[in-house]
Amino acid sequence: MKLGRSLLMKGLSLLFVVIVTLFLMNLILGATGFSDRMLTALVNDQVRIQRQTLSQTIQDPVELQRIVDQLEETLIQAYGLDKPWPMRLPQMIWRVMSFDLGHAKTAQTFRGSTLIKDLIMERLPKTVLLITTSVAISAILGLTIGTKIATKPGSRLDRFFSNYSAFSYAIPTWWTGIVFILIFAQTLRILPANGMYSTPPPTVPVARFLDLLWHAILPISTLVLALSGSWIYLTRTMVLNTAQQDFVNVARAKGLPENLVMRRYIIRVAAPPILTNVILGLASSLAGAILTETVFGWPGMGLLYWNAIVTVDEGLIIALTFIYTVIYVVARMILEILYVILDPRVRY
Amino acid sequence: MLLQISDLYMSYLTIRGEVRAVDGINLSLESGEALGIVGESGCGKTSLSLGITRLLPENVSTYKGSIVLQGQELMGIPRDRFRREVNWKKISMVFQGAMNSLNPVVKVGPQVAEPLIIHMGMKKEKARPRVIEIFETVGLPEETYDRYPHELSGGMKQRVVIAMALILNPPLIILDEPTSALDVSIQAQTMNLLKRLKKEEHMSMIFITHDIALSSDISDKMAVMYGGHVVEVGTAEQVILAPKHPYTQKLLASTPMLRSYSEPDFIPGAPPDLVNPPQGCNFHPRCHMAMDVCRREDPPTCLLEGGQRVECWLYGDKNE
Amino acid sequence: MGFNARDAVSEFWASHISKLGVALLVGLFAISIYVFASYPLDFGTRYWNSPQHWADYPKAVPPAWTQTFTSQKKPIHTTLVSENPTIRTTGIRSIEFDINFDFRYDDFPQFTSFSISELTHWDDPPIVYVSLVRPDGREVENLLEIAIPFPSADAEPPFTKYVNVPFRTYLPGSPVVHHAVSSFLRKEFDMALTPSEIGRTGPEQFIFGAPDDDGEFTTVLKGSYTLKVRFETFHQDDTVDSIKFVVGGKVFGIMGTDILGRDLAVGLLFGFPVALFIGLLTSTLTTVVGSVLGIMSGYMGGKTDNLIQRVSDVMNNLPQLPILIFLVFLLGQNIWNIILVLVIFGWSGLTILVRSMVLQAKEEQFIEASVAVGANSRWIMARHIFPQVAPFVFTQMIFYTPSAILAEAALSFLGLGDPSLPTWGQILERGFQTGAIFLGYWWWIIPPGLLIVVTALCFVFIAQGLEPVVNPRLRRMR
Repeated sequence: MKLGRSLLMKGLSLLFVVIVTLFLMNLILGATGFSDRMLTALVNDQVRIQRQTLSQTIQDPVELQRIVDQLEETLIQAYGLDKPWPMRLPQMIWRVMSFDLGHAKTAQTFRGSTLIKDLIMERLPKTVLLITTSVAISAILGLTIGTKIATKPGSRLDRFFSNYSAFSYAIPTWWTGIVFILIFAQTLRILPANGMYSTPPPTVPVARFLDLLWHAILPISTLVLALSGSWIYLTRTMVLNTAQQDFVNVARAKGLPENLVMRRYIIRVAAPPILTNVILGLASSLAGAILTETVFGWPGMGLLYWNAIVTVDEGLIIALTFIYTVIYVVARMILEILYVILDPRVRY
Repeated sequence: MLLQISDLYMSYLTIRGEVRAVDGINLSLESGEALGIVGESGCGKTSLSLGITRLLPENVSTYKGSIVLQGQELMGIPRDRFRREVNWKKISMVFQGAMNSLNPVVKVGPQVAEPLIIHMGMKKEKARPRVIEIFETVGLPEETYDRYPHELSGGMKQRVVIAMALILNPPLIILDEPTSALDVSIQAQTMNLLKRLKKEEHMSMIFITHDIALSSDISDKMAVMYGGHVVEVGTAEQVILAPKHPYTQKLLASTPMLRSYSEPDFIPGAPPDLVNPPQGCNFHPRCHMAMDVCRREDPPTCLLEGGQRVECWLYGDKNE
Repeated sequence: MGFNARDAVSEFWASHISKLGVALLVGLFAISIYVFASYPLDFGTRYWNSPQHWADYPKAVPPAWTQTFTSQKKPIHTTLVSENPTIRTTGIRSIEFDINFDFRYDDFPQFTSFSISELTHWDDPPIVYVSLVRPDGREVENLLEIAIPFPSADAEPPFTKYVNVPFRTYLPGSPVVHHAVSSFLRKEFDMALTPSEIGRTGPEQFIFGAPDDDGEFTTVLKGSYTLKVRFETFHQDDTVDSIKFVVGGKVFGIMGTDILGRDLAVGLLFGFPVALFIGLLTSTLTTVVGSVLGIMSGYMGGKTDNLIQRVSDVMNNLPQLPILIFLVFLLGQNIWNIILVLVIFGWSGLTILVRSMVLQAKEEQFIEASVAVGANSRWIMARHIFPQVAPFVFTQMIFYTPSAILAEAALSFLGLGDPSLPTWGQILERGFQTGAIFLGYWWWIIPPGLLIVVTALCFVFIAQGLEPVVNPRLRRMR
């Protein structure tokens, strides 16, 4: 099946990317001595806990120390700290993949766990919510406005949005967010400055949902402002290019109604190259999301990143870098699949 | 009389000025006839085809005249009605460059079926056998229906495009350089197909090309265009064997002959600027028989024996 | 493939956008050269990051020109220095400084401070008495009573101190001052306010204020003030070089100050050359690496091509910011690491594009001719292939500059910037972290962002102007 084969190839190459990233990450961790530090911290953690438990039953301090030392030895061997770091590579890779990186320094989940694994699981959906909503809105804006202005190139609306796109390329997303807070939260006081819910959050589901909406307006607007600029311009360019093609003329000669021509002959054909460019811009969309979360205190993984940097929490940073890579790869894969569905010419 | 074009004018507005692409054309076509329109690039032949089918570009400035098809005046018909009743139903077209005439992301079968669905209100399932029928007529196998354009060869794509033009069985088909992008053997195949269709299906067509020899292969009537004007029109034999207009004569003389000992001729100079055409006859700067009057006044249309028409001062006494 | 330089320039110059871009660029460069010439390279570590340097600056105040829009005039930051004391020898020898100044604003100073520079004594250290005479004739006596510390046991006279670092007293934080003001209020206004209460409100409100009917010190006493400083010395050769009295304003300078009192105008200025440096260096390096690898990959084919393609494929598929964060976090926050990391993750995009252009160019007849003549690969790549891709590559370089600047700003905002170099992103990071937004310090938040935008736009404009030159299809029809 042609479709299946090309998708499989894409999937494999993206998987390869994840593996290489993991490998490189751990290589760097080992070479810079971070993995040593981290694992030592893990060992010390466990030793400490064990010491406490053991001291309940063993009263003799010398005996206690001996057992604890023995325990430490065992742990060091188990974690491979007695060997040079290159030998620990496979183990580390597995550890990163399963997020078994111990505890975060200061961050806590809602329930109080500091396990990195739990933290990521808790924050992930919030980030995904933010990103997908913003991307969806930007896509809709891009398609509607982009096609609209492509029908009248050179018009005032067209020039306005072309300039808007150029500007949005130059404006840092996070600064827009800050300015929004300054205007809407600080000066006008009509929207909240940060967070996902008010404290305390409302319990009634409808009120809770509205509260979420109210908090989400600014962060989503910031992200949409950043993303839609290029989407609109992109759609406009691709639609313009496609509209000049011969088969569009043929469609009109066939007496097809204009909106059918628009849908099937222009937009549908322009979709694959638009999608290609969206894929290319995916990385910066992700970056924008991280920064927006930071600015608005949106309790997703971006904010966790910020937290990790400030508290110099290596374990958290590693986990987050890894999962962002995974998210990126998954998003890419989805888009690539979409592309193959849309453009029959690439199925080999 | 299937088609009668009278005093058709069409111009576009560009940065440099108004381009008079179609500058007063008169043509007629009988049912079952093939009218060949011959001329250099830029002489207005494609604009003529766009003018007949009302596929006007954005920057069109003048569009007037009379086009009567099967007794019905097309010029007055409002846009939407033209789209619904004339486009493809009465006149269909095969564009220059079949390579790009098909939507790349839709299978070819549904594309050919589209006019049936849109204009005839047919259901998709009913349309499919009709399309396969037409495919058979043009010599395409049934599997072609589910193919994408990029999976077909150039010749097959050309046949699809022709099939598409035939699907509603229109009284008139316009073909603009249908074979210029193809290699010679496919060209021959396509021409044979067209000749067969003309004979068996009694198809009326307007065949536009720059290749005068190719045109003579299929055309009953031939019209030579230059600078937006029809400078000569007559039966194919008349135009090929007894060309009256100096341009036609030079055109024929510049066709290389396989077994001739003489060198091919050429026409000095360049095609006229359609924004500022020369005063008088458009061709006079390049004409080897130009007279004084040619430089001053537009040449009249002269009727010669056998129905041949020329726009040239050389035959001024036979003025219509 | 004629690349006519004169045509190119006239085509570029034709649009207004290009002119604007070039004008901005010239401006940026001019400012950068000025900064480079007038500021030391270690400005960041030596001055910007040392709180000492900014001690006598007002904290978190808006720019001075905002005064023109308000009816209530806030005090302008004033630094008063006196270097010519009179020496009184009758009775106890004393060195006296008198400073006259006007204070006619509608609001109190943010703080006041008193500094002594270059004091030399031979015997016991002098004692300093400072008092302030107000326009209403009242005198705040013994506002400051400073006992200069004794020299260490092994030091030899003459004892010279406070040459490099002045002896500074910050009045609002000094209990002596609070006591003095408390006494002053009791004596002059019959008010009983404890020193701690005065400390809480801030002594300046009482020193420079007058009570209203309710006994609240809300009005400023406008008029001429005199600061009287008296050093009682114990040796006839004791000298004091100068004293300084700072009346902390509530507005300052062109761009205001941040929470540490740093003059934002200076910080922002320093950001110009840094931004240009980072942007241009990163984009140049990225472009060079990317295009060289692209040309090699496209022209040489085979294993080289495969290798370069695989590598750039992987690099292209990595999300930029998370990896950037990871690497800078691990390798250390300095400017070279940041540039290195940006280049490492930037070249792959260009390589892929250049490679496809080269693949096309390779098929041209004149390349075949060159090979037939006997030219070697390197010659062909340099002399024939490169000029074909050069215009595109150049445009990409211009276009990539703002990305680099924005990427560095983003990193700085997250706290991963180079702390020794004040960049606009860093200034914003400080602002954000210290809650400037919620305190409404707009002068701290808006200008740095605007500068980033303007700088990025400058390059975007130039790139837009270059587009028709590179892409002939977009040229205006003449």
